[in-house]
Order: sequence, then structure tokens, then C-alpha cells
Amino acid sequence: MKTAQQRLCVVGLDGVPLGLLERLANDGVMPNIAAGIEAGHHRSMRASLPEISSVSWTSFMTGAQPGEHGIFGFTDVNPGTYELTFPNFAQVETPTLWDRLGKRELTSVVLNQPATYPARTIPGVLVSGFVAIDLSRSVKPLRWLGSLRRQDYRVDIDTARARGDHDWLFQDLDYTLQARGAALGRIWDEVEWDFLQVVVTGTDRLYHYLWDAVENTDHPRHQQAMDYHRAVDRFVGQVWNRFAAENEEPERRFWMLSDHGFCGIKQEVQINAWLRERGYLIIDDGGRDLGGIRHESAAFALDPGRIYVHQRGRYARGSVAKENVASMKAEIADAIRSLRYDGEPVIRDVHDAADLYSGSCADGGPDLVLLAHPGFDLKASPTATEVFSRTDLVGMHTWDDAFLLAPYSIDDEELWIGDIAGHLERGFEN
Amino acid sequence: MKGFTLWFTGLSGSGKSTITQAIEPLLLERALKVEILDGDVVRTNLSKGLGFSKEDRDTNVRRIGFVANMLSRNGVVAMTAAISPYKEIRDEIRAHTETFVEVYTECSIDELTRRDPKGLYKKALSGEIKNFTGISDPYEAPENPEIVVNTEHETLEESLDKIVRSLELMGLIPAGEDNHTSPEEEVVIRERLQALGYI
Repeated sequence: MKTAQQRLCVVGLDGVPLGLLERLANDGVMPNIAAGIEAGHHRSMRASLPEISSVSWTSFMTGAQPGEHGIFGFTDVNPGTYELTFPNFAQVETPTLWDRLGKRELTSVVLNQPATYPARTIPGVLVSGFVAIDLSRSVKPLRWLGSLRRQDYRVDIDTARARGDHDWLFQDLDYTLQARGAALGRIWDEVEWDFLQVVVTGTDRLYHYLWDAVENTDHPRHQQAMDYHRAVDRFVGQVWNRFAAENEEPERRFWMLSDHGFCGIKQEVQINAWLRERGYLIIDDGGRDLGGIRHESAAFALDPGRIYVHQRGRYARGSVAKENVASMKAEIADAIRSLRYDGEPVIRDVHDAADLYSGSCADGGPDLVLLAHPGFDLKASPTATEVFSRTDLVGMHTWDDAFLLAPYSIDDEELWIGDIAGHLERGFEN
Repeated sequence: MKGFTLWFTGLSGSGKSTITQAIEPLLLERALKVEILDGDVVRTNLSKGLGFSKEDRDTNVRRIGFVANMLSRNGVVAMTAAISPYKEIRDEIRAHTETFVEVYTECSIDELTRRDPKGLYKKALSGEIKNFTGISDPYEAPENPEIVVNTEHETLEESLDKIVRSLELMGLIPAGEDNHTSPEEEVVIRERLQALGYI
């Protein structure tokens, strides 16, 4: 077994905001987390921009920003057909933390890391997380596939069913968490690892569908939501207890984090509908996704709040000349800053991507990135016609209240998730 | 890596030779040594002079099996692409071969008659060719092949993918870096993202 100086453990809790973590720790719902907070240093942390898991977790696992690693969202658009494409792990342009540790002959075990599908060989074991589809393409090396299949390992809950069937949601959350724990135990038993990382993604799913049940003690499913957090806390406790039993000074080698925060939704805000309303976007019926976009369109949006200027030469039907892109960005930014709902400002910040991103992939990203005030969930459905609407979703991501539980204090007001890989690597320099 | 025998069986025109030729570079890319024992090629060399009686056919298939086994026990991936119509002979070769992977290239007679690039099925159906496997001679499909590819309903790429992935899962070839998402997977990804409120 590796010695204490060589091992490091990270637990990710997808979407858990700092405020909720502190509250559940203080209320006794998550006693293991409370002990971790007591022993370590906890603080808020910024997610990536945009604040979604594929971008944030990729920033975590590479230590790079989107302009360098090349992942700007769950979707991109084909510049010829305007159909949506789905960037995957192969399109991550920078080496991962696990690759870099491997060069130092350090072995990683990575379980349920989002945005790593299809799995590729890493120095150790990788079991991909969301949006992994086929388990046989989610596991490297493949020798782990058999045991994962035999124990009916699940990458994720059945989100399509869980969204409308909350009894099923809780059953599936419990099952998936248990299966994750069993898989982790088996791999832990058999692999001589140096770096171990496991991510719990059920929290994010619960918050999307039942954030109000988490927040509101009168909600009929509040106790179920708390019970799930107790189960997550037991999971964390099991990881911690085993790590502590096998390592000296484990509190110096144990990290926890989330990839973004969460809050309740007041309104969903359809950016493409807003662009249409303002005349920036014209889409004819019939094309798939943005396939019906007209030449004269000046811009379009992709989830959650990424705006792309419809630039000539960049897109097949692009109409905005390169020299006019800057003025178009400024015009759209000015207009959308004034967007209000019932008198309340919707947009907290409009980032010019030129200020936000740098690196070899920056040109492939959006031109503007919107950050909304909490409660206004930015969307980019190509077909939406109403700017403001509500669906059955109740929770949305937030940017600057992800949490970090670290072995030491990190005094950086602007700490973001992409900074953590560097800290972890330095943990092997002791 | 250890060698093994990848034994294709199926009716004439079902895709055995096409698939073996297409798989060869995929295996070579993974630093494997590969040899193809194609039915037609073997008949002009190793089995020259043999006819198409059951006895001669069995002899031809046994010779192919013998050579394939010699190759595979010396670290070569030996791929055979003979019709090998009789189950008994295939099972006999399986019993004598250390690692034997049977691949059945399934395809209906109707589809083969439709393809029929050499006009052989038409001639067999009209009686112009005698002892034609699947028409006037029996073909005994394998009962439990390790891999089945249906060349009537699958594209060549799908069949290749199925075979390569099966060999990976059996641990017979090293895993390749499979870094694309298929159109079918993208449908599922789209549904999952929509279930979380995206798109």
C-alpha cells in the first residue's frame, strides 16, 4: 500500500452550494461533512463561465480555462449545418491532472467524473460520469467492466423518468449512490492508487427537480431530500474513514468540492427568444436546431447564456463582417443588460469572451457569456418564442457559491475551480 | 498479446472476405501480427486440386484450421474466411485450437441472391451450378458463435465495430482509443440534456 505522503483523495459533490453545505452540516443532517468543516478549511469558490458541469469539471480536471481546454458547454453548433454537436472527452485539448500525475508515475482512480466520455486510457482507472451512455465505453481499462456490470453499476439516474416521477427519482438516487460506493470499494481494494477522486452527481439531479424540497421544510418531499443528503454524508464518511484508516495525517490529504452552486428558479429566460424579439435572430421553420437560421441573423445563443455573433466566414450563412463583430457584441451586450422581469434586472454581467478566454481554443468559443442574477435560469432553446417562462424544473446553477473544503486556507478572493488542480499537484511535491 | 484464430463462417457473398480485409489494418494498428487465410486464395494454393465434394470441402477446411492454429500459437491473429459449412468440422477445429473465436456472417439467401455480384446464386438456383452451399448443398449455421454480424442489416463499419469491441472485451486485443460518440449515442445525450433543461 502507498504511504500517507503519496496518497491524496478528492470527493466531488456536484452542484452543492456552500450555503446549503454549511446549513446541513450545522443542522446535523451531514455530520461527516460537519467534521470535515471542523477539521479543514471551507470556503466558497467560483465555477467556470458558463457555470455548467461539463465546463467546470473539465476546468477542474485540466487546471485550464475553457479557452485552453476547448469545452464551452454541453453543446456546440456545426458551422455548416447549424445543428447542435456534443463535445466529448476527446475534444479536451489540454492534458488532465491524471495524465500529469502519470508522468510522475502516480496512479489515479477516477470514478464518475463528468465530461470524460468516451473514457480513454489514463494512468490508472477511469469510470466516466455524465453524459456517459454505454458502460463498455465508460471504463478504462476494460478489465473493470465485468465487475461493474455484474453489480449493475449505474453512471447516472434515469433523468428522463425521474423528472416526472419523483418516487422513482429518490429510488434511483439511492440505488445509484449505493452502486457507486460498491464500485469504489472494489477498485480501492485492488488498485495501488496515489490519487483517488469520486464525484456524487445525484445532488445536482435532485436540485434540478426538487430544489424547493431541499429549501422548504414544509415541502412534502423535504424529509426525503434530507434523507438523500444523509446518505451522501454516509458515503463521504465511508470514503473518509477508509482513507483515514490507511493514511497518516489524512486531514492534510483530503479535499472536497462542488463544481457550481444552486438556487431556485424564478423564471427561465430564453436568450434565443430575446434575440428574435430584438431582430438579431431570424429562424425559418423546418431546420433542425438552428438549421433554419437566416443569413441576415446577427447572433444566436447556446445553453445556457452563450451568445455567438453570426460572423461571415465563421458560419456558412454568417452575415456580420469580422470588423463589425466588436460593435455587434457591444450593441447586444448593452441591450441585454437592460432586460428586466417585473422590474427586476435579469442579467448580472455580460462578459466579452475576449476578456474571459485566452488560449488556443478561445476562437472556438462564444463571443459573449451572460451571467444571470440568481433565480433567472438562462436557456437557449432554438424553438422558444417566449422570453420568460416556467417549466417543471425548479433549480438552477449558480456561479460563485460552489464550495471547497481544503486541508489548508487558500486566501484568494477570485479562487475558481480551475485553480484546484495546481494545489492537488503540489500535494505530491511534499 | 497471444495469438488466436478468428474463424469467419457464412454463405458465399455474406461478407467474410470483405470484413477480414477491413479488420486487418485495425489489428495491425494495435501492433498485432495478422494473417488472412481466405477461402478462395487457399484453394489456389494450399488446397489446389481439391473439389467441392463433402470430403474435399472437409479436407480444405481442416487444412485451413491446421495452418490457422500453427499461426495463432505463434502469436499471430489468424483470420480465416472460408464458407466452412459443416458444424462438425468447425467444432473439430475449435477443439484443436487454443483460442478459437467463431464469427458468423449472417445474411439471408434473398439478400445474397439480390447482391450476387458474380451471378453464382442465379446459376445455382437455375441448376447450372451443382453443390452450391445454401442452395443445393447444406450450410449449418453455428449455434453458439462468439460473434454474430448481420451483414444484411448492419453497415460494414457497424460489423467491424462489433467484432473489434468483442475482441477487446475478450481481452484478445488491446483496447483502442475510441473517441467519438455515435449518432445513436447523440440521440440519448440530447434526451438526457433535455431532461435537465438544456437545449
